[in-house]
Order: sequence, then structure tokens, then C-alpha cells
Amino acid sequence: MSLGTEQEALSNAWQNWFRFSRNPTAVIGAIIVITGVMLAILAPYITPYPDHVGAVVDFRNRHQPPSADHWFGTDNVGRDIFTRVIFGLRISLLLAVVVLSIAIPVGVILGLLAGYFGGWVEVVIMRITDIALAIPPLVMALAVAAVLSPSLVNSMLAISLLWWTWHTRLIYSITRQLRTQEFVEAAETLGASKAHILFREILPNCVSAIAVKTSLDAGFVILIGAALSFLGLGIQPPTPDLGTMVAQGASFLPDYWWQSVLPGSAILILALGFNLLGDGLRDLFDVEDVR
Amino acid sequence: MTTRFLTTTAAAALAVAFLGAGTASAQNVVTKNTVQIFSSIDPAKISDYTDYMASVNLYDGLVTVDSAGNLVPELAESWVVSDDATSVTFTIRADAHFSDGSPVEAKDVVYSFERLLRINQGPANLFAGVVESGNVVAEDDKTVTFTLSQTFAPFMATVPSLRILNSEVVIENEGDDDGQTFLATNVAGSGPYLLDSWDRGSRMIVKRDPNYYRGWHEGAIDEVRWIVTNDDATVRAMAASGELTMTSPYQSPDTYEALAAMGRFRVDSQPTSTAFYLKLNSQLAPTDDVHIRRAIAFAVDFETVQEVIFPGEHMTTVLPEAGFTAFHNGDVEGPSFDLERAAAEVALSSYAGEPIPITLAHVAGTLFQEEIALMLQAHLEMLGFVVTQQTDPWNRVTEIAGSVETTPNVNQIFFGPTYPSPDSMFFTQYHSDAAGTWASMEWLQDPEVDALIDAARATGDVDEQAEIYKELQVRLDEHMVSVPLLAQTIQHAMDDCLIGFEAVPMMSFDYDFSRYTWTC
Amino acid sequence: MEFLAFLTRRVLWSVLVLFGLSIVIFTIARIVPGDPARMALGPRASADQVAALQQTLGLDRPMWEQYGLFLTGLSQGDLGRSLLTAQSVNVDIARTFPATFELVLCTILLAFILGVPLGVAAARWKDRWPDNLVRALAIFSAVTPTFFLALLLQILAGYVLNILPTTGRLPASMSFNADVTGLLLIDSLIRGRLDVFGEAIRHLILPVIALGAATMGQIARITRASMIDVSRQDYIEAARAFGVPDRLRMFKYMLRPAFVPPLTITGLEFASLIGNAFVVELIFSWPGMASYGIRAITQKDLNAIMGVVMVSGAFFVLVNLLIDVLVGVVDPRVRIRGKRA
Repeated sequence: MSLGTEQEALSNAWQNWFRFSRNPTAVIGAIIVITGVMLAILAPYITPYPDHVGAVVDFRNRHQPPSADHWFGTDNVGRDIFTRVIFGLRISLLLAVVVLSIAIPVGVILGLLAGYFGGWVEVVIMRITDIALAIPPLVMALAVAAVLSPSLVNSMLAISLLWWTWHTRLIYSITRQLRTQEFVEAAETLGASKAHILFREILPNCVSAIAVKTSLDAGFVILIGAALSFLGLGIQPPTPDLGTMVAQGASFLPDYWWQSVLPGSAILILALGFNLLGDGLRDLFDVEDVR
Repeated sequence: MTTRFLTTTAAAALAVAFLGAGTASAQNVVTKNTVQIFSSIDPAKISDYTDYMASVNLYDGLVTVDSAGNLVPELAESWVVSDDATSVTFTIRADAHFSDGSPVEAKDVVYSFERLLRINQGPANLFAGVVESGNVVAEDDKTVTFTLSQTFAPFMATVPSLRILNSEVVIENEGDDDGQTFLATNVAGSGPYLLDSWDRGSRMIVKRDPNYYRGWHEGAIDEVRWIVTNDDATVRAMAASGELTMTSPYQSPDTYEALAAMGRFRVDSQPTSTAFYLKLNSQLAPTDDVHIRRAIAFAVDFETVQEVIFPGEHMTTVLPEAGFTAFHNGDVEGPSFDLERAAAEVALSSYAGEPIPITLAHVAGTLFQEEIALMLQAHLEMLGFVVTQQTDPWNRVTEIAGSVETTPNVNQIFFGPTYPSPDSMFFTQYHSDAAGTWASMEWLQDPEVDALIDAARATGDVDEQAEIYKELQVRLDEHMVSVPLLAQTIQHAMDDCLIGFEAVPMMSFDYDFSRYTWTC
Repeated sequence: MEFLAFLTRRVLWSVLVLFGLSIVIFTIARIVPGDPARMALGPRASADQVAALQQTLGLDRPMWEQYGLFLTGLSQGDLGRSLLTAQSVNVDIARTFPATFELVLCTILLAFILGVPLGVAAARWKDRWPDNLVRALAIFSAVTPTFFLALLLQILAGYVLNILPTTGRLPASMSFNADVTGLLLIDSLIRGRLDVFGEAIRHLILPVIALGAATMGQIARITRASMIDVSRQDYIEAARAFGVPDRLRMFKYMLRPAFVPPLTITGLEFASLIGNAFVVELIFSWPGMASYGIRAITQKDLNAIMGVVMVSGAFFVLVNLLIDVLVGVVDPRVRIRGKRA
């Protein structure tokens, strides 16, 4: 690699960064996401009562409203809600990471295959995708998570089972457009292998769309995961989970509002962060179709 | 009361205004929330607490149960037990009639019993092996005899669960499934209330039968509405809007407090014979070791459980005192909260000196059980246990109780008598023959305990029974397979005008609303 | 003629989707751990009671035979018997569906009626305050968990202000039998019960807001984008150049083509709407099909689960079919392309 291209790449990155930083919503989104991730990683060091993540009971201090000692108040067994919310971010983020790292490769590969090969491959893959899309996602996730006993892993599985379809659709439509482009045809004429064309020629052109979709998706996966755990199909206690905390706190409404409102706000803010970031990336890469 | 009256009148006035007709009369209406749906009203299929709640109002049995656990006449005015206690002859009241006016006769009893055995669900298993098909015989129109296969002391106590059907009506609507389709949504009985509407999943409304054969008292309840919801917020909203007159017994302490503060409600608390246990699987490591089981018992902060988490009376043995005073063994001391003794017991066990993995299970979605599980986990972790929490929905619990391997180490289970006899408490939970259900998650397979339970069944002598049951309580305290957490104090927030709730030691017979009175 | 072919193609496709759905659902329902017969009989049943019921239900037969039975029933519109309620799932769903339908219908109508004008306003005043407001609304409504919004509404309108009911379709003290269409809003008018009508509306407000906020936000967002898109088209530019008045240009030439994307998005949004109805019905104790479905799921009532998912899926497919036809009417080009983008 010559010095020139390196410099070019650098200035390209610089340009991108400049455009990105001029987009206030994107910057806010990025700040929220980065803060959320940092808080989750550093949770044991920055929370006031890290042992409250596990089985700690202090019935004399139950249902304490927010105060200097307990910023978010305490729950029904006297644990610090602020600590549990910060640790709860871990589960939400973990869910998003696992689901997307299953759904994206599966969805992308199927989309590439269907879009590039066409014919019966396209028919089979896209019909299955359409059928999967005809099932309301939360209903499907509910059914699957209920069928297998409730746990974090099963929730992840249930969501992953339907999430790939959106990526298949997206990549399929991009691939179909690219298939007839000159550079692909050129590679074909030169006798490049199918794998080379798919992964070296077409895939790189999908990357920006995938990045935007991933960021938007992370927010939605977090939301659907929270809905599942709100309905009692999430991780088992005592591990803190935001959706479960809202559900439990709801039985103490309106008197002890902080037990449900504050964890609920945490979900909202995290999802908002990913959404704004995704919007910002969309403007940056100028891929309008992705939603 | 004023608000309720006003809204009723306002609604009635509106109804009159829009329909141009209609009669508004003062009605005593009880609106009660209930946490589960009514799954069946067919007397051959009723199985749980909620089902029986509807059944005791829609159907009558030959006998019923009072708050002291005594059997009292209902359709039968009297009964005679043979000297060897193997047959019972009931005489049906001359004036007993079904809600359609036709008389209740011996053939209806025979039909109801045979149908129950044919369908073989619900209360059928109470009679399995005790009374065979063909052994309930109509002597004449009003006399019916049950012949038992062997002496079975608790038999009489199971009779209230046989609800009597109007055989003519059911046969007319038999279809090809023994009237199951018909009785799934219709009632053919002689109970004090008539089914008015039933929106499964949201509510059931029953109305007083003015021609009920046992007559009515001043201030009788005219209409009962059960609203299905387990959500405390909903209950509070309904109470605030004046709709609710009685809560379920499963509200959170805060809800009772909030309702009491409204001024219209009082919180009625009564001891019951429903016990709440930690059931320890005695066949699965590490709770197969008696020292581990005792350590767990000493690790329970009973006072916090009973006073903060779930209201209840302290229990010293596995048999609650309420309803079973004559059989309760007052000499057994029972476990208490003592972490030092718990540590000493762990040291005595064969698992001493290493991290001990253990699974604590509780029913999904029940907050107080999670609180207890967390408290126990906190204490057990101090003692060197490695705790895993497991939550299952209730119907899944009934499933995993089916085998030793799937039964968790520690289970939080409520158990109340299905019929008013100590036998219901001991046989169902501790006899080897009853193993494999949610009520017997201890998996106690002890021939001596079995022999004692059988001996109590075979004698008609109450004093002798009492001796045996007291001995059993000592044995079970030594085994410590069940840690008695508390005897449930049943709590309802009730409208100040409503009286009549008396806890009955059998299913939900205390919700027979013909026993209630509206005093305003 | 050409429209008829388009219609036939869409209907056939919908049937195929439903067939695929039936396979998926059957597979899911049959890998349930746990014995449905045991669960139906309740905790006090004995082993032979369980075995007897298993036989009656055909649970002891091979899997493909069970699927055959399921499909045969399905083609005749028979969803089988619910184990828990001991009656036909058809009856259960027929009883609970109107409540869900009323909720969902009101939500979608309101979301569309409010969402489209908001989107138009945002496009008209692009980058001014109405636009910013709509964009903020779209983003916030999309990222607020439905259950959280529902709880907030309950606290605010139910407790703090205490102005609106937070549970059920009607007060418990009001007895009214919706026996014509099952929809309270319509039946109460047929029967001349204005008091019931009023209460039904009051009870609908909070659940509809909780369920519809996100959909409305999306519709507004898409309408805005599509209006802006259309305004850049040559023929609009030409109209502007010819001095066609602003308002006329907006409503006559732009709104119609701009209408297609919001219509399409409404169809897609419908899937999440049905899903969220499960959460909303639970929180507001709404006696609908979703409440029934949640109970079926926790109680492992197989036929009921399959019935609810099947009906939800069919509902979704049907609505999208309807929308496709509608799009075909609004935008004739779609009929030739055959599929919407």
C-alpha cells in the first residue's frame, strides 16, 4: 500500500467524521450508546452497591424513594435500583449483540444468495422470508420463548429466529441491483469464483447499509427483549433485567413509581441512542431505503 | 356506599332514559376480584380453588362444611354410617328441588356419581378405589346408599366434592360426550345462585335463585360478580371507582393498606388451615441429607417471612392448628431462624467443606415467593451453598413434580386440605402412594410414615387417629422434608356492609355467598 | 381484467403464506415441553386420567397424522378444542376477537387520520417547528417500549389526574351484551345505549394511545419523506413553474402519489401492532384475543395457541391484501409491477 492511498483513506475518514459531527442527533445518539456501553462495562466499579446485583435482602430498607443514598430508590427487597439499572444495561446490550451476531450473518448470506443466483434459490429463500415476515414478531417470540422454558438464552433464540428475515430482504434488494453492475460483470468475465464475487465484490457494497440497519436494529432488539422479559419470559432472578424490573415495579404503582418508571426510562434512552445513531449513519452513508 | 348507590342510580336512570322502560330496585351486589380464570363449571371437571368457588354457588352437594371443619346437611337432611363404617345412607330433604323446580332425587345422586367416574377428571380421584361404579344405589326416591370397598375413615369428608346434577336435564342434553359440552357453559343444579353471564377470562356473574329450597335470610346477596384480574393496580382502581366490594385474598399488603385508607373497606384477616411450605426433595443431592434439610430450615428468617413478606401464623409442625386443633401436636418445637445452628448442621452433613450446589424454585410471577427465594439465597450463600434460582409457571410446576430428577431441591408450595380431614394433609403430601405430584415434592418414601397414615385411615376412633397424627408430626419434624413457613392468614379487603366470610378448611367453600349478608 | 389478474395473484399468494404459517405454528406448538393433557386436567389428576385424555386428543398418534388432523380442521375453519375452556377454540376466539378488533381498528384509524396530516404539515413546513416536532414525535414514539408507555398513561390519566378508566372495556357495574357485531361502539348505538357508547369510548382512549403512538409516528415520518420526495419530481417542479397555486399543487398532485408509502407502511406496522396488542391488553385487562393468547401460552393450551397465532397471522395477511388492493387503486403502476416495493 502506498503512502498516497493511506493518506487518502485518512482524509476520507476525517471527512466522514466531520460530516458526522455536524449532525447533532447522530452525535447525541453516539454519546448515549457509548455512555451506555461504558456504564455496562464498568458497572462493578462505578455503582454504589455492586453486591445488590445478586441475592441481597434488606427488608428494613424496602420501598425507599430516591435519595442521596439511593439515587433511584430501592426495590421491594431493599436493593439499590440505580445499581440494578446499570447492571441491567449489560443484559440488554448482551441480548442485542448476540441476536444481531446470529441474525446478521444468516440474513446477509441468504440475501446474497437469493439476490445473486436468482431462480429457484431466490424463490425458496424469499418465499420462506415472506412467510416469516407474515408472523407478527412479538407473537412469534412469545410462542417460542414460552415453548422453551423462559431464560435469557431462549429469548435470544426466539428473537434471532425471526430477525434474520429483515436483513435477508435488505441485502437481497441491494444484491439484485448490483448483480447487473459493470464491476460484477467484469469480475464474472475474468472468471472469478462465485464466492469471490459474493463476498469480495458485492458484500463490501452492502456494508454501509448493514451498518445503518444494525444500529437501528440494536434499539429494536432491546425493545422486543424488554417486552418479552416484561411478560415474564426473560432472565431468571436475581440477575437484574430492565424489562423484568418494570414489570415488578408495576405492581407497586403509583405509590412506588420509581421502581418501574426509572428502569423503563433506561430502556427508552438506550433504544433512543441506537436509533439516533442509526439515523445519523443513514444520513452519512446516504442509504435512504434502510429502515 | 353513597357513591356506589349514586352510580347505580345514575346508570339506572340513564338506562330508563334510553330504553324508556326498566325497573330500578335496590340490589345487594358483591363485586369481587379473583386472580385466576374459572377453567370449568362442570362438576365432573372442577379441580382448583377458583373452580370450586363457582361450584359452591351454582351447585349443592349432599353435605357441606362449616368453618370448624364439621360436615353439615345440605341436600341431605341426615345420614347413617353402618357399624363397620363401610356404607353410608343419605336421606335427601323432602323439599329439595333443582333450580328448574323438579325435585332432587336419589337417581340424580347416582347419575352424578357415575358420570364423575366415567369422565374420570376433577374430584373423581377422591373416590377412586374407595367407592366402585355401581356401589351407589338408590333405595327409594329420597334415599341413597354409598357402599365402600374398605373402611376409609376420611370418606365422609370427601362427599361435599360430589356436586349433584339434575340428571334429567343433563341426559336431555347429553350429546356424544356425556353432556360435557352442555355443562361447560350451562348449569343444571340446585345451588343458591344461577349463572347469569360468564365471559371466560374476564368475569362471571351469578344471580340469586329466589326459589332456592333452603330459603333466604334478610340482607341476602342478590348478585355476585367475579372480575378476573391479578393486577394490584387494577384492583385499587376498581376500589377507588366504587366498583369493588371484596378483594381476592392474594393482593399485596400495600393494596390492603390503600383500600383500608379509602374508608369504605375493612381488612378482614383470619387464620386458615392452608399451609405454606418449603418442600425439600429428599431424593436429590444435596437435600437428600437430613442435615442439609435442617440447615435450610434454620436459614429461614421466619419472622420476616410472616410479618413483612406474606401474612401468616407461625407453624411448628406440618399440620396447621386452625381447623385441626384436636390433631395438632403442641409438643413439637419446630425450626427457628439460627444461622449458627444452620452452619453446624452443614458441618455435620456429608457435603461439608465444599461448595454445595442447590436449586431454589418458585412460581413465576409471584413477587412474595421471589422475595423469600432471595432471602433464602442470601442466607444459604453465607453457609457455602451455590444457589441457582428456578422459576416456572404454576402448571409447569405440576409437570416437573412428576419425577425425582426434575423436582428442584427447594420448592415453595401452598397446600390446604381438599377435604376436611388431617388425612388430606398427610396422605397427599407424605404417603409413598401419592408421590409424583406438586403436593408431594418431598419424595418422602418412608414405610413407617406410610404405615401410620394407613393406620389412621383404617380406624373410626377419633382419639386413636389424633394419637397417630401427633406421632406423624414428630416423625416429619425429624425428617424435616417440609419446612413449615406459615399457616396462611387469609386477608380480604371487604366493604363495611358485607359480612359472612368464615374460613372453611376445604377448598373454597368459604365463598358460598348464600352464607353472606349485606348489612346496609 | 388486468386488475383481476393482479387480485388473483395476491389472493393465491396470501393462501400460500397462510399454509406456510400453519406448518410453522404446528411445529412450534408440538415441541412444547410438558404434557398438555396433564396441564388441562389440573394438578390433582391421576396418571390414568391423563392417559385417557391423551388418547381422546390424539396426542398418542404420529406427528404427521396430528398435522393432517390440524390441517383438515383448519381448512374447514375448525381450530379444535381448547383444553382449558373445554370448548371450541373457534368459540373462544369468536368471543374474544371483537374486543381486539375494536382496539386495533380504532388504533389504526386514529394513527392514520392523525399521522398523515402531521406528515403533510411537516413536509409543508420542512425544517421549521412543525417538522421538528413531527420528527421528534416519530423517534420518541418508536423507541418508547409499548408497555412503558401504557404504564405511564395509567399513572398519569388513571391515578394522578384520575380522569380515565384504566381497565377493561366497560365498568364492571355496567352490563351490556354486544351481540350484533361484538363491537361495543357499534352495538351500543344499534341498541340506543348512549351511556354504553360513552363508557366504551372512555375505556378505549388509553389503550389506543398506548398501542397507536408508534404507528402514528411512523406514518407521519413516512408521509413526510414521501411528500418531500414527490415534491422533487419533475412534474411538480413543472407545476410550480406554471404557477399552480401552492395548496392546489399540494393536495391535487402530490398527496395522491405520496399516499402510497404511508399506506404500505401501515400494512407493515400492523404486524408490530398485533404483537404489541398482547402487552397492551395485558396491562389494561382488555378482554380480547391477545389476553386469551397470553393465557393459552402460559397454560400450554396447544389448540388455543395455534388458533391465536393463526388468526393473528391471517388478520395480518388479510389487512396487507386489502392494503395492496388499495394501493393498486391509488397507484395503478403497482398493478403492472405486480408487487409493491
